Amino acid sequence: MFRHRRRGEIPSLNTSSTADISFMLLIFFLVTSSMDAGKGLKRQLPPPPQDQEQVADILDSDIMTVCLDAEGNMTLDGRTVTLDQLQKEVRQFAAVNPKHRVVALKTDPQTKYDAYFQLQDALVAAYRPLKCSPRISEVVEEQGKKGGQP
Amino acid sequence: MMRRRFRRPDHSVPELNMASLPDLIFTVLFFFMIVTHMRDVEKRVTYQLPAGTEVEKQQHKSAVVHIYVGKPMDGSTDGYCIQLNNQLATVSDIKRFIESERRQMSAEDQERLTVSIEADRDVPMGLINEVKQALRKSYALNVSYSATERR
Repeated sequence: MFRHRRRGEIPSLNTSSTADISFMLLIFFLVTSSMDAGKGLKRQLPPPPQDQEQVADILDSDIMTVCLDAEGNMTLDGRTVTLDQLQKEVRQFAAVNPKHRVVALKTDPQTKYDAYFQLQDALVAAYRPLKCSPRISEVVEEQGKKGGQP
Repeated sequence: MMRRRFRRPDHSVPELNMASLPDLIFTVLFFFMIVTHMRDVEKRVTYQLPAGTEVEKQQHKSAVVHIYVGKPMDGSTDGYCIQLNNQLATVSDIKRFIESERRQMSAEDQERLTVSIEADRDVPMGLINEVKQALRKSYALNVSYSATERR
């Protein structure tokens, strides 16, 4: 314990507690860090409406209208459908010409966000085997046409 | 002292050299310090995210701007509120908020700016649509509907 050191030698620092200190810091960062990056459904919004906007002509047969009412009931071209049915039908519909065929989406201002999210999720899932993102045109009731999404 | 040790038969476990342990831990510590992204926003609204199957990881954390929509924790109103940064806000504040966030970002991040909408399941679509319209007007066109993954 009491070692007699030679004259002129620099006394060494006791560094045995460095490990403890750095361990404490490490644990602090481990606890506070949020490694789980947020997850989400990525969508692209259309740019804001321009003054002289060109209205694209889309054939009626190339549009599929999906409506969500305030209670979360879904109708596809007037027929009530479930999410699974919708996904199948949209996939069939889009498989022919995914670049041109459009899904028009109408929501009620009172529709719950969850219903809307599930619908978006189902549409992305329906388009997944086609390797392109869905073309969705959203219609907002009060403010008129919202425009298409690429 | 040395001579005594040599003579005595030594059955004790040899000691481990711990000298490099601090270095090792410091390396791990620095890794975590660099990787971590401290959450500097205190939540003022409560929300339960929807669950989906097609969710993707949000990349480039520094380019993500969060908009929270939910019920206010302090119970000031009964309806749903929007939270930007640390305070409750209205739809009309979104444009200014996006602009100020954009100004703080690097040029690369400005291009891939993504707005993460963290909304409660029961928020009415009217409010969500207003938020989306405001985002379109401020040219923040990449949105991510924040959700949990369902398998």
